[in-house]
Formats: sequence, C-alpha cells, structure tokens
Amino acid sequence: MTDTNPERTDGGTVTDDHGHDFPGTGSIKRWFVTTNHKDVGILYIVTSLFFLVLGGVLAWLMRIQLLVPRGPGETILGPLAYNQAVSAHGLLMVFWFLSPFAFGFANYIVPLQMGAKDLAFPRLNALSYWLYLFSGILFGVSFFQGGTFSGGWTMYAPLSVPTFTPDVGASTAVLALVLFVASVTVSSVNFLTTMHRMRAEGLTLRSLPLFSWTILLTVWMMLFAFAALLAALLVLSSDRLLGTTYFAMESPAGALLWTHLFWFFGHPEVYIVFFPALGVMAEVFQTFTGRRIVGRKWFIIAMVLVAIQSFAVWMHHMFLTSINLQVKTLFMITTIGISLPFDLMVFALIYTMLKGKIRFTTPFLFVFGALLLFIIGGITGVFLGAVVLDYEFRGTYWVVAHFHYVMVGGVTALVGGLYYWFPKMTGRMYDEFLGKVHFAIYFVGFNLLYFPLFVAWETPRRVFDYAPELAPWHQLATVGGFVLGLSFLVMFYNLFKSAFVGDPAPDNPWEYAHTAEWAVPSPPPLENFDGTPTYRNGHLEVIEAGEIAPRRDRSDTPAGSSVSADGGIAASSKTAVSTELPTVESTAVEGPSHASIWPFVLSLGAFLVLLGLSPLQEAAFPSGMAGAAYATTAVGGGVVTLGSLVAMGLEPFHGPVFEEGEAWPFSGIDNGKVGMWIFLASDVVLFGGFIGAYVFTRFAFGWTGWEPIPSDPIPGLVNTYILLTSSFTVVLALVAAEKQHKGALVTSLGATFVLGIGFLVNKGLEWQHLFHEGIWLSTNVRSSTFFLTTGLHAAHVIAGLIIALYLTARAWRGAYLEDSRSVEYFGLYWHFVDIVWLFLFPLFYIL
Amino acid sequence: MVMARGFGSSVPLQSGIVPRGSRAVVFDSIFEVFLLLGTLVGVVVLGYMLYNAYKYRFGSGNGDFDEADRLTVGELPTGGGGGRKLFTSFFMSMVIVVSLISWTYLTLLYVEEGPSAEDSLHVEVEGYQFGWRFTYPNGHTTDGVLRVPADKPVRLTLTSADVFHNFGIPALRVKSDAIPGQETETWFTANETGTYTAQCYELCGAGHSFMSAEVIVMPPDEYEAWYESTNGTQSSENTSAIHSADTNALQPTAPANAGRLTEVVV
Repeated sequence: MTDTNPERTDGGTVTDDHGHDFPGTGSIKRWFVTTNHKDVGILYIVTSLFFLVLGGVLAWLMRIQLLVPRGPGETILGPLAYNQAVSAHGLLMVFWFLSPFAFGFANYIVPLQMGAKDLAFPRLNALSYWLYLFSGILFGVSFFQGGTFSGGWTMYAPLSVPTFTPDVGASTAVLALVLFVASVTVSSVNFLTTMHRMRAEGLTLRSLPLFSWTILLTVWMMLFAFAALLAALLVLSSDRLLGTTYFAMESPAGALLWTHLFWFFGHPEVYIVFFPALGVMAEVFQTFTGRRIVGRKWFIIAMVLVAIQSFAVWMHHMFLTSINLQVKTLFMITTIGISLPFDLMVFALIYTMLKGKIRFTTPFLFVFGALLLFIIGGITGVFLGAVVLDYEFRGTYWVVAHFHYVMVGGVTALVGGLYYWFPKMTGRMYDEFLGKVHFAIYFVGFNLLYFPLFVAWETPRRVFDYAPELAPWHQLATVGGFVLGLSFLVMFYNLFKSAFVGDPAPDNPWEYAHTAEWAVPSPPPLENFDGTPTYRNGHLEVIEAGEIAPRRDRSDTPAGSSVSADGGIAASSKTAVSTELPTVESTAVEGPSHASIWPFVLSLGAFLVLLGLSPLQEAAFPSGMAGAAYATTAVGGGVVTLGSLVAMGLEPFHGPVFEEGEAWPFSGIDNGKVGMWIFLASDVVLFGGFIGAYVFTRFAFGWTGWEPIPSDPIPGLVNTYILLTSSFTVVLALVAAEKQHKGALVTSLGATFVLGIGFLVNKGLEWQHLFHEGIWLSTNVRSSTFFLTTGLHAAHVIAGLIIALYLTARAWRGAYLEDSRSVEYFGLYWHFVDIVWLFLFPLFYIL
Repeated sequence: MVMARGFGSSVPLQSGIVPRGSRAVVFDSIFEVFLLLGTLVGVVVLGYMLYNAYKYRFGSGNGDFDEADRLTVGELPTGGGGGRKLFTSFFMSMVIVVSLISWTYLTLLYVEEGPSAEDSLHVEVEGYQFGWRFTYPNGHTTDGVLRVPADKPVRLTLTSADVFHNFGIPALRVKSDAIPGQETETWFTANETGTYTAQCYELCGAGHSFMSAEVIVMPPDEYEAWYESTNGTQSSENTSAIHSADTNALQPTAPANAGRLTEVVV
C-alpha cells in the first residue's frame, strides 16, 4: 500500500496524487479516514464478529441459567437480568452481527463483481460503517445505565414504555437502534445507486452474479423495511423520551399498533438476514462443484418474488391477536406462497451438485452444512404455517429452534463465505486442516444446541422455570452451546495467524471460480481494476483508460468543476441526506484518492447527541449533576454533528470516476439524483408509517369521535400556502442557476429560506397557543399523534432550511452556476416535504 | 367423549379426514401427521443430498462435465442444465405443502367456529403482571385458579390489565394473546379431570417465568356444587386480590402461587 503522509489530517485535498495521501493499511489513521469499499468491508466484518462474541456470551449466560428449571430465588441471573440477556442477545445478533457481517462481504465483493471501482458515495459508505459502530457502542453503554432494554427483541408494547421499563438504559437501547437504522438507510441508498448505476458494460441485471443479486434484493427490502422500523422506533423513542402516549397502556390500540409496525419490518427482516447467506451458498456451490447453477433464471425470479411478497406476510406473527378469520386466511396463504420459492432454490442448489466434481474444502463444507440446516429449518417452518399448529407453537421453543435453524443456518453459510473470500481479502490462505476442524466442531455443536430444543418445544420462550422433565434436553443444548461457541476459537486462531503467515494466495485460489473478484490480485489494488472493466464481448476484459469511449446518454457530467455538496439533516434521528457527486477531473486522472475523517466525526457527534438525550422523560432531563452532564453531552454532540456536516460539504472530495456501463433503469440519470430519489422513497415509507399509525389509532378510538387537535385550521391553511410558494421559489432558483444568473439564484434560495422560517414561526405560534390551552404532547393520544407527526414534518423543514442556508451561502460566493445539480436535488427534497404537508394538513386539521 | 364428535356446524364433515374434537385431539392428530411427513421428506431430501455429495466427490470419476465447458474466471454468469428435474421436484414439494396446509385449514375453520355459546361455559380472563384473574358468568372472580367442568366446552374472552400477555394451557392445547385494550376469544374442552397449569407465553416483565395459574378440571356435578356455592360471594373483594391470597376458601393452592409472585415482584 501507499505511504503515510502524517502531515495531512483530512486527506483527499490534493487532486493529482493517485492515492498517495492515503495512509497504509498498517497505519491506525488509515482505518479512521478510509472510504474505500474494501477497507470498509473489512471494518464491518471485524466489528460484526466482535458483536457475535458479545451476543454469544449473553447466550451462554442464558444457557447456564437454563441448565435446570429455576424457581424464584434459585436463579443465577435475576429475572430482570435474564430478560435483559434474552433481549440484548436477540437485538445484537440480528442487528449488530448478522446483517453487518453480510454487509462486510457486500462492501468488499459487490463492487468487484460488478466491475466498479468503489461505491457511488464512498464517504457515505464510511459514514454507514461509523454510524453502525457507534450505534453498537451506544447499545453497549445502555448496560451501564441501570440496565439495558428487557422487553425482548420484538419490543412488544406497552412493556417497552417507561411505565414498565423505566431504566435509562432501555431508552438508550432504543436510541441505539435508531442510530443503527440511520446507518442502514445511508447504506441502502448507496448500494442501490451503485448497483443500478455502475455496472460494467455488458453486465446486465440478468447476468449479475448471484451473490450480488441477493445483496441487491436485500438492500431493496432494507430500504423499505427499515423505514417502517424507523417510524416504529421514532414513535417509541417519543413515547419514552417526550411522553407521547401511542403505546401507553391506556391507548386503545397501542399494543396492537406496535405489533403491526414491528412485524411489517420484522418479516422482511428475516429475508434481509437470510438472502446474503443464500447468495454465498450459490457462489460457493458453483465454485466447488465446478458447475453452473441449475435454473439460474428461476432462482432469480424466485428471489424477486420472495422479496416482494415479504411485505405481505407480517400478520402470520399475529395469528393469536384479535385479527379475524378472513385476515388469518389471507396471511396463511401468503405465508405458504412465500415458502414455495425457497423449495425451488433449495432444489436448484442440490441439483447443481449432480455430475460435478465436488471438493470438500472448508467453504464448501460450511455452505453444504448450511443447506442441510436450512432444509430442517424450512420443514419445521411448514409446521408453523399450519395455523392450527401455530396456535400452540406460539411462544414456545419450537419457534426458537426453527428460527435458529434458519438464522444460524444462514450464519453457517456466511462463515463459509468468510473462508471463501479470506484469501481474496488478505492475500493469504487459511489453514485448511484447522478450517475443517472448525467445521466439524461447529456442526456438532450446532445440532447439539438447537435440535434438542425441538424435542423440548413445550418450554415457553424467555422462561427459565420450565417443566423438570425437559431438563435433560436443555442440558444437552447448553453443552452444545458451549461447543458451538468454542469452535469459533479455532476460526479466530486460524484466520488471525493465517492473515500474517499463511501461504500467499494467487488471484484465484479456487479452480472453477467464475466471478470477477477472482480476476484481480489478492488483495485487490485500491482501485480494483487497472482500467475499465467491460463484458461487451461476453467475458470480462479490462480496457486501459482512454481506450474506451465513455458511453453516456447525457453529456452533462461537468468537467473541471469539482463540487461536492452534502445536504444533511442535523441532530438526532434522521439519516443524513447526501449528494456526493462523482466528479471528473479535467485532466481525467484515474484513481480516486479519497480519505475523509468527517464520517467518523459526524457519527461520533450523532452518538453524543443520542447519549445525551437518553435520560429524557416527559421531555425533561433529570435534575442535578447527571442531568446537566447529559444535556451538555447532547448540545456538544449537536455542535460536532452540524460542524462535521458543514465540513463534509466543504471538503473537496473525489468520488470514483466511472464510465457508465449498464445502468438500468436509471440510465442517463445522475448518481446524486438517483440517490435522492431512493432516499425519498424510504422517507415515503417513514411518513407512511406515521400516517398509518395515526389512522390505525383513530379507527380504534372511533373515527368520528376524534376531534382534530387544532380548533382553528387557519394557521395550517396559511402554512399550506407558504410551503406551496416556497416550492415555487425553489423552481425559480434552479432556473436561475441554469441561466447562470447569480443574483436571481441567491434571491430565490433566500426567499425559500425566509418562507421556510415563516412556516416554522407560524407553526410555533400555533403550538404555543395550544400549549396555553393545556394541550401538549402527552395530553392524550390525539394530541400525541398531532404533535409527533407534524413535528416530524417540521424536523424535515428544519433540515431543509439548514441545507438552504448552506446553499445560499455557497451561491453568494458564486457556486452552482456551472453545475446546478445540488440546487436541483435540494429542490426534489423540498418538493417532497411540501407534498407531505398536503397530506398532513387535511388529515390533522380538517377530517 | 360427547364433544369428540364435533359440534353441529356449517363446516362440512369430511368423513373423518378432518380432525375434530377437543383442541388437544385436533392438535395431536395434525402434529403427528406433520411430524411423520416432515421426517420422511427430511430424510429423503437430506439423504439424496448426502448421497450425491458423496457420489460426485472430487476424484470419484462420476462427475462428467466437459473440461471445455468448465467455469472460467470472468465469464458472464449463466445457468446450467437440469431445469426439468428442478420443476418436477418443485411441483412435488408444492403439492405436499399446499395439500397439507389446505387439510389443516378445514380444521382451522372448525376451531375458529368453536362451540356454540349456549353449550359452553363462558369465562373472562384478565392477565396482569404477574398473574391471571378469572371472572365467571355470575360475576364470581378468582385469582390464579380456573375451575371448569369436564366435557363441557369453555369459551374464554381474554384481555390484559397492563402489558401484552399470552394465556396458554399447554396440556389442553389452548392459547391466546391477552392484549391491553383488545379482546380475544378462544375455547377448549377438557375431557379428563385433574389439575393443569396455565402459563404466560409472551415476555411481560420480571415475573414472566412464574406467571402461571392452576386449571382444575372437575367432575361436572362437583363443579356445579362449587359454582352454586360462589353465588353468594360475588362481591368485589375478590377482584381486588391481585397480589394477596385468593379469598376463596375453596382454592387452597392460590396463596402459594401468590406468594411465589410476591417474591419475584419484590
């Protein structure tokens, strides 16, 4: 790697050094400033393995508790401590281990497979990682604030509100999840833009390698599912911190509302964590059987069907709630429907082995084992699809055993992926013998742990006082848990040692591997390919720069100017909107030299804000020193967050230069614009979640008996006009920028800003008026929905105004006249915020 | 028993193919079929997989792929042959799954309809942190003990006083969510007298592991006698007994249970 230049602290300021300001991999600094997808991938993998260990230790504590049935007073962990262990284990494994582990591979491998030099927005990629890491740290902090969240990973209401779980740590855990979702959203926007826009020429979606396909579908599901979770978590945070009463015990439908919101996210989440494992299986099966996958087209179609349908099965988690027979029937059908495509995929993998030359290397053993486990998980899942059986399995270890076979079955495949790509990532081979030893211990431990749970299925979940005759099975499971956990020691030893002293790995250590990552050196150079990869002749070729005429449908990519504008949303909970523009140097220099410390600092700031807000109850800090310290942390964090957003916006940053190849369906549309559209799509789901929650609550309350909170609709009406006018001024600003009329641009942007301020002032007066009438957030569920939903909209307006202010200041100094795209993207966002208001105004003021 | 024939209902009897009877009978017969078929399918599929993995292992000489057609680095991914076999297997698995589920659906219709209101005893169940409260048609309320007559269908209406609970009597195969602000319904018939345990199946706080109740299935005449004796005691003092011992002298097990709870709560 290149040498370190210790003088520079915010790399990437020099345009003509091809990565020479990029610290070497041996330097600690490298890992704080890197935005390279391969570095970020490795960071993800290492961090997720840390959370695997943490979640695993919690599982061990539970298994020790379960050695014998424990009556009151006979416990090792107290009842609440046990509940915390159960909850934190689930949350850590699902959120902080499984998906990030898979996304480590996605970061590293997907750009290579699709012939890109990096992701579309490298700094946002680094930002995703740092937000993820800090969300994990925040979750860790929650253990020390009186105890972490103890209401289960499903966080059922109203146990999740402070009436029943009053510890500060419980709030912190929820906020940590909010930060995690921010990371996921940034990452989803980035991956979707990259994968739709930056494929090599000739690499159509149909011929995308299967691992990349699984990631593409995973990310689409993530974009929408996590937006729904964000809505749920924001409402829950508000209930915990501000005192709204959506989920309160007295709320007519609070408990049911949460189950809908959570499972609307929760079921796609199952496929979100499993799909990447499926992709690893498909790649490793092909490589080590030496055969192309059977029925590839149908495999892909099956996955697409699952991805779409995953949003229509959530109520099968709620068969015993008060939903009626018709709904149960519908969801039983969709559930069975979604299981069938998996049959096809499993058979496709099995038949791929036929007539092959199967080599039982460590990756194949793990992936083969994963398929075995997944089949068992699948068969036991059919039991749950039969509603009559589901009635009895609900809340028992049958469910626990089933989803561990599926989920940890997926982990098994991902571990196979780790061995498979280890030589590519480190340039060294792992020890094959130790790898096989790991598999043997792992596979025995797995089945010893989870199979007895099927036998002992009558044990209620999350209970440690079970029927004594089941104790032998639980003891077997506990032994299995330790065997499974300890098997990872072999892996850690093997991989750690091999990373330094293993045999050097060739480009393609596996005969019959076919995807593009095996065509480049191990590890690949910073820019992946030493030219432009293309498949125009049906196979991968790398063409040197300049040899290929850039294929562009629109020639509006500016040359010479290098603008990088980040619009961001400040403060706590919303993801940063960002539009990093890939820029082309006038000298057409190949080689992105991008390093930036700001993703790290920004994430640190967000972490501090949320940590500072965690002890809020009823919108008030606790009294005394602790409260002051928390408040200071929040304010300090806010300053750091805003400051780093501005710094990131001003930083001259060079994204990857790419020749547009295959870009269906976004051909000819700028990356930044595509990214903004995708982000807004997730924002639609976020507001959809809020509006849905409002409608659901209002129905349960009695639609007609529900009076709108503002007795006077006039301020709302005035605000509608203000926002519509401001949409108009944003259009004017874009026109001015395109006509290169600086004065008009500054005036229009300034007018937009002033109108936005007018909107907020008007709203502030309205709220103050209501406050004086004694109506506030926590007054009742009607006022809660009003203030929170319109408040979320106001937060969007504030974020927009911060961007508008930044744009106005830059325009004043002459920016955007050459390249008006930043103004255009801001306009998209601003129009969206206005449209949302057009829905909120009738819903909350008139109906 | 009497109920095992099923209730006269709009659901057509499927000449004995569709399991009917108490919840336990229904569950056990379906579970048995699923276990049997599941094991069979599992053994066949896993066996086939392992057999072929062995058969086509490297060096076995059974793999016959053409070296000219081998996978090469950088090729555009395409699929291999074998589509017909894939669809045959897929179709078979679809038939098995869809027919199994459709079969259980008929039982679901039967279970959902439940016994008629006139034939059954109606009890209201309220979950709270951490116990169960039962209210009989005459207003009598007990805490921690549910008494029912054998062979008579029992309809339960469930709700919760605080957080999300789930009431289940595993031996009688009955279970339902108890949700604050909502009412759910379920039913069961106990054919054999004896004492059963009801438990909470949804994480509800520190006392979740110990949130149980006794279900005493009595001979019908004994039950009637007991029920008559409660008529005079339908006062409200019983309903206030949340953590204290149940005031009904006929329920000697309740105080022990309540005592367990207090330990947890404190």
